[in-house]
Amino acid sequence: MTAAVELIAAPWNLGLRPPAPGREPGTWRAPQALLSAGLEARLRPARTVELDRPPYDFDPQPATRIRNGVTIREQTLRLGEAVRAALAASRFPVVLGGDCSILLGCLLGARSQGRCGLVHLDGHSDFRHPGNYDPGSTLGSVAGMDLALATGRGELLLTHWPEVGRPLVADEDVIQIGDREHEEIPPVTRFTAQEIQQIGIARLGERVISRLEQRGLDRVWLHLDLDVLDERVLPAVDSPGRPGLDFSQLSELVSTLAGTGRVAGLDVAVYDPELDPDGAYAAPIVDCLASALAPLATMEATRA
Amino acid sequence: MKTLLANGPSNLYATEMEQFGRLAGHWATRITYYPTDGSPARHVSGEWEFGYALEGRAVLDVWRWPGREELLASGRAPDQECGLCVRIWDPRLQLWRFTFHGTAHGDLVHMYARQIDDEIVMERAAGGDLVRWTFTDITAAAFHWRNERSTDGGHTWRLDQEADARRREATQEPG
Repeated sequence: MTAAVELIAAPWNLGLRPPAPGREPGTWRAPQALLSAGLEARLRPARTVELDRPPYDFDPQPATRIRNGVTIREQTLRLGEAVRAALAASRFPVVLGGDCSILLGCLLGARSQGRCGLVHLDGHSDFRHPGNYDPGSTLGSVAGMDLALATGRGELLLTHWPEVGRPLVADEDVIQIGDREHEEIPPVTRFTAQEIQQIGIARLGERVISRLEQRGLDRVWLHLDLDVLDERVLPAVDSPGRPGLDFSQLSELVSTLAGTGRVAGLDVAVYDPELDPDGAYAAPIVDCLASALAPLATMEATRA
Repeated sequence: MKTLLANGPSNLYATEMEQFGRLAGHWATRITYYPTDGSPARHVSGEWEFGYALEGRAVLDVWRWPGREELLASGRAPDQECGLCVRIWDPRLQLWRFTFHGTAHGDLVHMYARQIDDEIVMERAAGGDLVRWTFTDITAAAFHWRNERSTDGGHTWRLDQEADARRREATQEPG
């Protein structure tokens, strides 16, 4: 690892459905909650960039059956530029969401420097697209579609991008880790939550690295949906479930992957402070990230 | 309404404006419809005129059928189309925003468009379907347009309508 961290706060909730009529999801509060819990002090970033909070639209937007689809495209381009700038400055972007729709901007920015694979840590496959559900009956939520969109499935609005075109990442360059689903299996390399229970984190890390080597992937983006954690460990997410990782397993896995030097950056998604009224979970999330990324926090050479 | 039309593209997004702006002028069209009930394809002539507008920040077109050769002396019937398309490049989305305003049936259509390789692809979600209008094989003298629908998320597409366009000579343009 050769780069200092750059924190990028992406305070949005655009990819989630309303938890109740007229009520916005609370994931937009997560960046501030994590910063207040000491993430900045622990990671000692070279810079912290805070993007604006976009408006959440409860009504369908024109010509799309994706909730907040037009706004998500605009935010994706903005986040992509922030990630691109961080990488151009030889920093390691850590993007604080937000919901899983932030993945699109992260990959778009990462692709500015060429091919980039994806390690998708998520308790769900997030592989919904118009070919496997009926968008006529319900608006699609990008937080459940981000892997499908990233691999080029879905509306042009969120699958065709400047410079990159489509897709943001090829199926063969994706590794999905931690989902508990049995339907709509994405055609990617996959390690389910149940498989991880059997083989353990160390062997999982070995297999993931082996796959990266096999594909010749020198660069990958690491997407970290915190619902990959067991709901008994972190219930303050939109769609908690079990089985899942605990904090120490997650930290070990992220540390192992980051230690390969192949990870270009990572994003952290779906922690919802409104589901954590006592603020009990921000500190362990910060501890987990700080522990996993400790070598980066010691980098001083490239600070602005 | 002298402020509506423009002679050329704005300097703001000249490269993007050229994507549709190169179609500026008058075109004769041969439109083919492919009914979903399996009945034979039907053909009609049409006219299509493109031009810059709004200080060169937009490209408009007027889509009409039948063409002048088949238009009755009594004029265009109420159910024969004379519609307006408005295309505006949105730099925040890096896409074209598109609307079609039909006068025959009151159609109002929103779409988003991008140039993809040699084609310009326009798309909208319509209920559970995706609808695409694609401009292809564009030369100075001709282009092809097709209207397709996918009911499986873009995996397969059904051709509903297509048009072959030939540029009219300047002397053929209406005065």
